Amino acid sequence: MNHTLTFTHDDKQASVTVPTNTLLADAARLAGIDIAQPCGGQGRCGRCAVQVTEGQVRRRSTLRLSPSDVEQGYALACQTVVEGDAAVYVPPQEKIERRLTTDRVVAEVTVPDDYEYPFSQTVRRVHLTLTPPSMDDQTDDWARLQTAFRLQHRFEAVTCSLPLLRTIGSTLRAGDWNVTAIIETSRLSDHQTIRLIDLLPGHEDEYSPLWGAAIDIGTTTVTLWLVDLVTGQVKAQVAEYNGQIARGEDVISRIIYASKNGGGDELRQRVLETINELLERACKRVKLPQGKVTPDQIVKATIAGNTTMMHLFLGIPAASIRLSPFIPAVNHPPALTARDVGLNINPEAAVDCLPGVASYVGADITAGVLASGLDSAENVTLFLDVGTNGETVLGNRDWLVTCACSAGPAFEGAGVVNGMRATTGAIEEVWINSDTLEPTYRVIGGGKPKGICGSGLIALLSEAFITGVIDKGGNVKLDAPSPRVREGAHGGEYVVAWGRETESGEDIVLTRVDIDNLLRAKAAIYAGFTVLAENVGIPLESVDKVLVGGSFGKYINVEKAVQIGLLPDMEWSRFEFLGNTSVKGAYLALLDWRKRERITEIAKRMTYIELSADNSFYEAFTSALFLPHTDLSKFPSVAEVLEKS
Amino acid sequence: MALSGIQIYKLLPQTNCKECGFPTCLAFAMKLAAKQVELGACPYVSEASKKQLAESAAPPIRLVTLKADGSEVKVGNEVVMYRHEKTFYNKPGLFLRVRASDPDLAKKVAQADAYKVNYVGMDFTLNGYAIEADGDLASAVKAVREVTKRPLILISNDAAALDSSLSLLAGETALIYAASESNYESLAEVAKKHKAVLAVKADTLDALADLTQKIQAKGAEDMVLDLGGKNLGDWLMRSTQVRRLALKNFRPLGYPVIFFAAQNGVEKEAVYAAHAIAKYAGFVVIDTFAPEMIYPLLVLRENLYTDPQKPIQVQPGVYEINSPKPESPVLVTTNFSITYFAVANEVEGSGLPAWLVVTDAEGMSVLTAWAAGKFDAERIAKAIKGFNVADKVSRKRLVLPGHVAVLSGEVEEELPGWEVRVGPREAVDLPAFMKQALN
Amino acid sequence: MPIEIPKDKWLGSIRTVTIGATSAEGGTRAKTVTVGGGTTMPYLHFKAPTPNKPAIAIEIKSRKPTDWSPLLAEVWGEAMADPAQWAKKAEEAGADLIVLALTVEDSPEDAVKAVKSVLGATGLPLIVWGPGQAEKDNELLVPVSEATKGEKLVLGICEDKNYRTIVATAMANGHLVQARAPMDVNLSKQLNILISDMGMPKDRILMDPTTGALGYGMEYGYSVMERLRLAALQGDAMTQFPMIVTPGFEAWKTKEAKVGEGVPEAWGDWKARAVNWETLTALALVESGADILVLRHPESVKRVKDTIEELITA
Repeated sequence: MNHTLTFTHDDKQASVTVPTNTLLADAARLAGIDIAQPCGGQGRCGRCAVQVTEGQVRRRSTLRLSPSDVEQGYALACQTVVEGDAAVYVPPQEKIERRLTTDRVVAEVTVPDDYEYPFSQTVRRVHLTLTPPSMDDQTDDWARLQTAFRLQHRFEAVTCSLPLLRTIGSTLRAGDWNVTAIIETSRLSDHQTIRLIDLLPGHEDEYSPLWGAAIDIGTTTVTLWLVDLVTGQVKAQVAEYNGQIARGEDVISRIIYASKNGGGDELRQRVLETINELLERACKRVKLPQGKVTPDQIVKATIAGNTTMMHLFLGIPAASIRLSPFIPAVNHPPALTARDVGLNINPEAAVDCLPGVASYVGADITAGVLASGLDSAENVTLFLDVGTNGETVLGNRDWLVTCACSAGPAFEGAGVVNGMRATTGAIEEVWINSDTLEPTYRVIGGGKPKGICGSGLIALLSEAFITGVIDKGGNVKLDAPSPRVREGAHGGEYVVAWGRETESGEDIVLTRVDIDNLLRAKAAIYAGFTVLAENVGIPLESVDKVLVGGSFGKYINVEKAVQIGLLPDMEWSRFEFLGNTSVKGAYLALLDWRKRERITEIAKRMTYIELSADNSFYEAFTSALFLPHTDLSKFPSVAEVLEKS
Repeated sequence: MALSGIQIYKLLPQTNCKECGFPTCLAFAMKLAAKQVELGACPYVSEASKKQLAESAAPPIRLVTLKADGSEVKVGNEVVMYRHEKTFYNKPGLFLRVRASDPDLAKKVAQADAYKVNYVGMDFTLNGYAIEADGDLASAVKAVREVTKRPLILISNDAAALDSSLSLLAGETALIYAASESNYESLAEVAKKHKAVLAVKADTLDALADLTQKIQAKGAEDMVLDLGGKNLGDWLMRSTQVRRLALKNFRPLGYPVIFFAAQNGVEKEAVYAAHAIAKYAGFVVIDTFAPEMIYPLLVLRENLYTDPQKPIQVQPGVYEINSPKPESPVLVTTNFSITYFAVANEVEGSGLPAWLVVTDAEGMSVLTAWAAGKFDAERIAKAIKGFNVADKVSRKRLVLPGHVAVLSGEVEEELPGWEVRVGPREAVDLPAFMKQALN
Repeated sequence: MPIEIPKDKWLGSIRTVTIGATSAEGGTRAKTVTVGGGTTMPYLHFKAPTPNKPAIAIEIKSRKPTDWSPLLAEVWGEAMADPAQWAKKAEEAGADLIVLALTVEDSPEDAVKAVKSVLGATGLPLIVWGPGQAEKDNELLVPVSEATKGEKLVLGICEDKNYRTIVATAMANGHLVQARAPMDVNLSKQLNILISDMGMPKDRILMDPTTGALGYGMEYGYSVMERLRLAALQGDAMTQFPMIVTPGFEAWKTKEAKVGEGVPEAWGDWKARAVNWETLTALALVESGADILVLRHPESVKRVKDTIEELITA
């Protein structure tokens, strides 16, 4: 029996007549509409979802679709057959991707509801109108300014640096005794102190932007957010590889490099260059009616980063961090200024380095905990920071335990032959057709691929595994029937994109060494949180939510991350992807002194567990050094997928 | 049942006062769970919590100590069936049996007492002597005591002889072998009087448990068990059952076990003793003083009682792979066993000869050891010099793991005359490296 | 007062594996060897009898070894130059199985010839090891496997970096494989999974946890074996393979066994010590669950066999 199907796609309609039991995907092709089937029509990826608006179809599989999707008529074109006349809507691909239950996209940054300038903010702008001096009033400029502060704003003790003091006379006169002061109020101590950051002639618009920067100094990636402290809005987000990478990929190499002749100073200069360059770049991104923004307008910077990065940034010797008993020089640096640290912003700008806990649990994690809200969670929550140092925090509002393990930079795209940061040109998603072993990939920005970012690597590793390109040990099966599987310089490799498709003209490949690096990274992270949970006696199943942080991309495909054994196998709804939580925590602390105090509290409350104390970590690591894990019973959903393929 | 960190945490005040020396109550609780601190360090813990925590910590197998003026042997206090579950704590004492009637008694003991063997830097000896009272026990004890200061086991059923012999051993803790259903009352008296340990013997475990309870009622607390059994298989079952019952807190059998290795003939002695060492004996008595048997037994005991929680290490040293010649290259790596195996297997598999120098990096892998400062130029140089590697080779070529390429300059400084090469980062790339770069 | 003996209730058991095929089964062996089947920790008869006692294999080489201890040369004599004769003598010495270790000097033809001559000289089932270099192993074992189709040999040694070729040829020709991982429960299990994933029937895999000699890491293998056995009994299918260990190979590498002169006096008589070294290494592995022990000295063979006899007849 034949049936008529009407497809709607891109506002166009096309009809076709097909016999009973024709696949919707085939019918669509006859109608001239090509529905993407990245996984090769096996109902694995869910990318071919269409909406049946009228008529009868039979769904062989509804994997990837929620009951409410099905109720709304969604069906997988590759798994659904025609049983009568029907009308089918083929949605644009982006819309489908947003619907997928497996994907977790980083939420847009929004200004916290409780942000209230100037109350929440330590930095603010005040107007002062001074009585001009005269022969009768011989008060000096500085005393005159202090008097104005006292009378007009009730600020008693105002301090000022010498370089700034040198300029106040001319500023006061240039503004004809009307000036705008940018001040920092300290609410962290018992008595309020006021520090003058800048003095500008005239009365600036009180609500024009006041610039601040939230900076995360990662071992691999430095991320910077440029923030208008008045509105609290993030105006630009930029990131770049840390310039120190040229001197070692991991913290240990950096510490050792730093302890040699001049190494410390070089590393400090390198990271400063990276940050200063990012400051320029961020400022250029902001277009305002009143003109350009320049870094010297930035009056406050809040810095997060692991303990080593913080030491190197501040030029403090870091050698003791790596040597037993692993004591850093400083966990909680004092209040500093941009002049002290060498940032190219307003030299008087407040530089606030957030507090860490221990040598291997730094301010990136305390900031991350704040950003994730873990410290106020009612139920036991797991927070994973998938970075070069894989840090894990487990706990709730009553207790917090944390551990760190060296995962390596693979998920940030470093240390992988064709790896790159999650920027334009990065392959961020990959599907492999299990019959032909041909890949389908998505590139950030849509152009030619330049490399693969963290989320792309997770997807690629998972697909290579599920489709049998590699075995569970990560060995490339050289007997696989595809020209993409070949012997490379470092053993077997898989070609994701041929040279003709890529930006550079070179093939983009996943090599055996890359696979080993990825396996080690994921095994370290998995072992970290499993051993931590075991140590405190909390079964993983009882964890209410898993919050994932990391700068490997804008999204994570939870299913793929579970398939490679990076994340534990639990309902996908329990995962949340938070993106770079370290910079987000720094941003929250930059805005609000109450949140800043909360980070100090978090640092005090966290209990650090040393994983290397016995060999349970090593055990857990080796058993996780397999796809998805040596104990497949820990990954029932993956076992099910393997059973089917 | 041991409590987890979180369970202990719930019994603590949760004030994070830091007075115990740890930053948080949870940190302290974790240390308690790992038995690395004492509860006493917390000034504010409640009595109820103290009681609960103490109960979870009592040892299921009684700690028994034999003492003499010169040395002591502690056995018992074990907490697991299999060493990987935690560790075996107190090595079984190895005792040599001598006869009171032997005219060469003192000479034999003196010879055995001088025995000392070195294994990886440790000196091992026998732990003591068991005197069989087939002659006058007291004079034998006197004779033996003159030539050794090690603890003694006295084998006799004669309470009076034991009493007078033990009087010669004032201030010592000896072991009396053995109380049975027929003589336990008198022997328990003697044991109690001299604070001696009493071995207890019965045909079945049921009878043995009855007997230990009766003896305990007589006031003798320290006992060891002779499990009987007709052969190795029979004894293994009994020994396993006793350990299992003890670990389930069955107190009547919660004592160490004594085993006589020559009970079925001296030709089986080595195997019997080895079996007893592996399977839960606290005291092993041998009849033959034979270094070729005692040395492997002492090594076996040391091996099985090594803490398996410590990282798995291989012996630092120079390993010869594929019969290296003087011109073969020298590879260096750490003594973490997995690292060693990875490197050794790759090189072995390549068929290319090499000297593999394993440095003492406290059982860490190359990267970890380097990170912790346990695998640096100084240590590498020390190993090369300490193992006299230069004497073995004609061409002084040293290959460093690629992960520590940064060390090459310093190693060259530390080892003048050596050609320092940077090898691959991964062991799997070694064969190719050796074929291409080292020729 | 009768004591109640606590007994664990195990869910799993060790697989039963048979090596060798008689003419009725498509091979030429006079008898076969069956190992495994255990349902408790080793020799705990209060729970269940031991269904198959551990088998003893004697290791011989395709060419006269030049680096073996003189003590071994003394007992095997001229037979060491001829694998067929050596195998016969090994059978007389009480071996249940023969391990024939090929050498790098062997060509594929030499290897096939040596294997055939051993099969002709003895009716015992046979284990064949490659020389231990991935490429050479594959080069020799594939023709051996094909030339002995149906004999149910054990081919080895599969390791995680080189298992696919050996497993494939063993599957195609009805043989078994020996899967070795370096003293690690997880790595053993991983290799077993990889081999099973290729479709190798589970009753044709022997796992080799890697053996350390007494004093040279024996205890690591010992504990790994206990853990593998416990995991198997707890129902983990990927650890339920019988275990083959190589105390002969390892013990005779040690200075204690190999060297007679210039060693401390406290080591005692050389020959007795050497045999003790091999015997005690083997015995510890018997305790921890070995199913096949590969030995070198006839006296150790006798002592280990006697001990096993005692252990199973409690």
